[in-house]
Amino acid sequence: MSAPTPSPPIASVTRQLSRRSVFEALLHRSPISRADLAKVTSLSKQTMSEVIDAFEQQGLVRPVGRTSGNVGRTAVLYELSPDGGHVLGIDLGARRLTVALADIAGRVLAEVDEATDSRGGAWALDQIARLSDRLARDNHTHPSRIRSIVMATPGVVNPKSGAIEMAPNITGLDHLNVVGLLGEKLGTPVVLENDINLAVLGEIWHGCAQNVDNVAFLALGSGVGLGLYVNGRLVRGENGAAGEIGYLPIGGDPLQAESRLQGCLEYQIGATGVVRRYREAGGSDIDSERQVFERAQAGDPIASDVVDETARLTALAAAAVIATVDPQLLVLGGSVGARPDFADKVARVLLQLSARPVEIRTSTLGRRAGVVGALSVALRRLHDEFFGVAELATALPLPPPAHPSARQ
Amino acid sequence: MTRETAYCFAADLGGTKLAAAIADAHGQIVAELTEPTDPRGAAHVAEQIAACAHKLAQTAGIDITRARHVMVGIPGAIDPRTGRVSLIPNIAGLEDFDVLGFLRDRFGTDVAIENDVNLAMLGEHALGCANHCRNAAFLSLGTGAGLGLLIDDKLFRGARGSAGEIADLPIGRDPTSQIPSASGTFELEVGSLAIVDRYQRQGGTAATTVRDIFRLLEQGDEVAASVLDTTAHWVALAVVTLQSLLDLELIVFGGSIGVRPELYERVRRALPALFSRPITIAPSRLGDRAGLIGAAWAAGQALRQNRDHSRDSRQASGP
Repeated sequence: MSAPTPSPPIASVTRQLSRRSVFEALLHRSPISRADLAKVTSLSKQTMSEVIDAFEQQGLVRPVGRTSGNVGRTAVLYELSPDGGHVLGIDLGARRLTVALADIAGRVLAEVDEATDSRGGAWALDQIARLSDRLARDNHTHPSRIRSIVMATPGVVNPKSGAIEMAPNITGLDHLNVVGLLGEKLGTPVVLENDINLAVLGEIWHGCAQNVDNVAFLALGSGVGLGLYVNGRLVRGENGAAGEIGYLPIGGDPLQAESRLQGCLEYQIGATGVVRRYREAGGSDIDSERQVFERAQAGDPIASDVVDETARLTALAAAAVIATVDPQLLVLGGSVGARPDFADKVARVLLQLSARPVEIRTSTLGRRAGVVGALSVALRRLHDEFFGVAELATALPLPPPAHPSARQ
Repeated sequence: MTRETAYCFAADLGGTKLAAAIADAHGQIVAELTEPTDPRGAAHVAEQIAACAHKLAQTAGIDITRARHVMVGIPGAIDPRTGRVSLIPNIAGLEDFDVLGFLRDRFGTDVAIENDVNLAMLGEHALGCANHCRNAAFLSLGTGAGLGLLIDDKLFRGARGSAGEIADLPIGRDPTSQIPSASGTFELEVGSLAIVDRYQRQGGTAATTVRDIFRLLEQGDEVAASVLDTTAHWVALAVVTLQSLLDLELIVFGGSIGVRPELYERVRRALPALFSRPITIAPSRLGDRAGLIGAAWAAGQALRQNRDHSRDSRQASGP
C-alpha cells in the first residue's frame, strides 16, 4: 500500500469538496457505511462509491466489519486507515523533550519523552531525530509516511533565519537554522510554533478549553509566558513576540539591567527567580523551584512567603492580561502554574485585584499540552494538504482525540 | 458633484462634548458639529444626538431619512452578547438606558453603538497614522485611560466587550510596598485628577487642571516638569505592558493629554531603558476628531455591507 498523494491541482472544486466532505464524515463518524456516508454528506450513492474507491486505493480508508441487527443485507463499515498518513508533534522544552506520533484520524499511536540534551543546539536537534526514528520504527511506520511535523519551542522563531530567538533556557538555538536543519534530518518540512501558543491549541482540542473562543493561557515553569487565542485564532503579534509576558514591568524595578535582559517579571517568578528569592530571604541551599514549593507545603515559612509572593505577582500579570484582552477563560499551566494549590492562591489574589473576575482553570494536559497542540496543528496541515479547498478558508474540524494507545 | 443616494450618521459621545457628523456611503464626512454634552444625563443626551442629526441634515440639505446607518461612539464597554453598556462613569444614567432601542426608534434604521476609543482606533486605521498597520493600539489619555485594539487587521473587543479597559492595569505605586509598580492601578496614576493632585502634592499651587500644568511647563515651572516626568514613566510602563502582551506595530497616542508632545515625547525617551526591542509610538493624526471619523468610516462600511448583502439576497431569490 502506498502513501496517499495530494490530489492534483486540476481536480475540480466540486470533486475536491466531495472528497473533503466524505473525509470529514469519516473523521467524525467512523465506522460508517457507504449508505450512511451518502446520507450525511448529501452526495449521490454513485459519487460516494467513486470517492470511497479512490480513498481505498490511496490507503486512506479500510473496511472494519459489517452493519448488524438490521433487516436485509448488511453493509460494509469503513474507517480511516491508520496507514493513511502520519503526523509528528514535538515539544522541545528547556528540560524535557517530548515527541508523539499520530495517524491521520488524530489517534495518538505513541509518545516518548526524555530530558532535553543540556548541551542544546545541534545536540538537541540530533536527539529529536533519534526519538522520531525510534517512534516510527517501533510503530512500523516508514519515515516517509510522516507527512506533517510541528514542533513547539520556547521563544520566537525568526522567519528569515529559521533560528529560535528569545529562548534563553536552551542554549545554541539562536544561531542555527533550526527549521532547515531539522527538516533535513527528519526528511519532512518542520513547522515551528511557540510552545505556549501550541499549549493553548492543545487545551482547546483536548484539554480544559474545549469550545471556548477567547482563551488566555498563562504558563509558569522554568519561564513565564502567555498564549492568546481570540475569536478562533492565535494572537502572534507583529513579529511573533505577542505573549512575551516575562517582560511585563511587574514585580521589580523595570529599570534594573536584569529586567531589561531577562524580563522584569521573569526575573522574579521564573524558576531561577524563585530559587534566588528563596536564598536571598535566608532559605538554605536548593537547586530547583520545585523544592521551594515542596518546602512551603511542608511548613517552611520562608518558602511559604516566596510562594505567596510568586502567586501575587502571577495574579498581577493575569490582571494585566484581563484588563487588556478580556479573555473568557484564563488557563494556568506550566509545572508551577498548573499546581492546584498555587492556582488557588493566584485566584484568591486576583479576586481582590480585578474588577471583572474571569473564570480560571488549571491545564488538564499538564506537560503534554504543547505536544498535543503540535499534533493538532500537524493534523490540520495534513488534512489541508489532502483536502484543502482554496475557496474554503476554514480548516476541517478535528475529531475528539483518542487517548494514546502506547504511551511510554 | 455626484448624487449620493444613501448617507450615514455618526456621533462621538463624550462626558463633556458631543460630536456628530453626516457622511456619505464611503464614510466621508459632509457636515459635522460639536456641542457640550447635555449634563442632565441619559435620556436628554439621547434626544440631543437625534437633534444633532436633524440640524446636520438641514445644514447639508439632506433629507434625514436618507441616513441609512447610524453609528454612535460611547465612553463605555458594550457586551457583545447582551448589548449591555457598562463602565460609563461620565454620563449619568446611561448604563441603564436603552440607547440602541431609543435611536433605532428615532432613526427607523440600523443603529450600532461602539466603544469610543475603538472607533478612534478605526479612524486612525482608516485615515490616520495607523493606515498600514495590522496590529496597533490607540491609547487614549485624558480624564481617564482607554485603549482601542487592532489585532490582525480587525478591531478586537474581548469576550465581554471590555478589552482595552486599561484603567485598572496593575501599574502604579503600591502604598504598602517598597517595590515600584507593585499593585497600584494605572488610572490612579495618569488620569487628569491624579496629575493635578500630584502637582499640588509636590508643592505646585498655580494649577487646577492639566491644561494649567502644560501652560506652566511652557513657562519653565520645574514642578510641572517633574510631574510630567512621573506621569510619562507610568505611561511608558503601560506601553511596555501592551508591547509584551501583544507585540504591536504602532501605539497611537490620543486623548486630550495623550496627544500633547510634552507627554508623548517624554514617554518615547523613557522606553529604551525599559524594553530591549524598539517600540513605535506616534501622536494621533486625527486628534480629537479620531472617534468621529472612525464612527463615520465604520457607518459607511456597514452601510455598504448591508447594501451588498441585500443586493446579493435579491439576486439569490430572483426569478
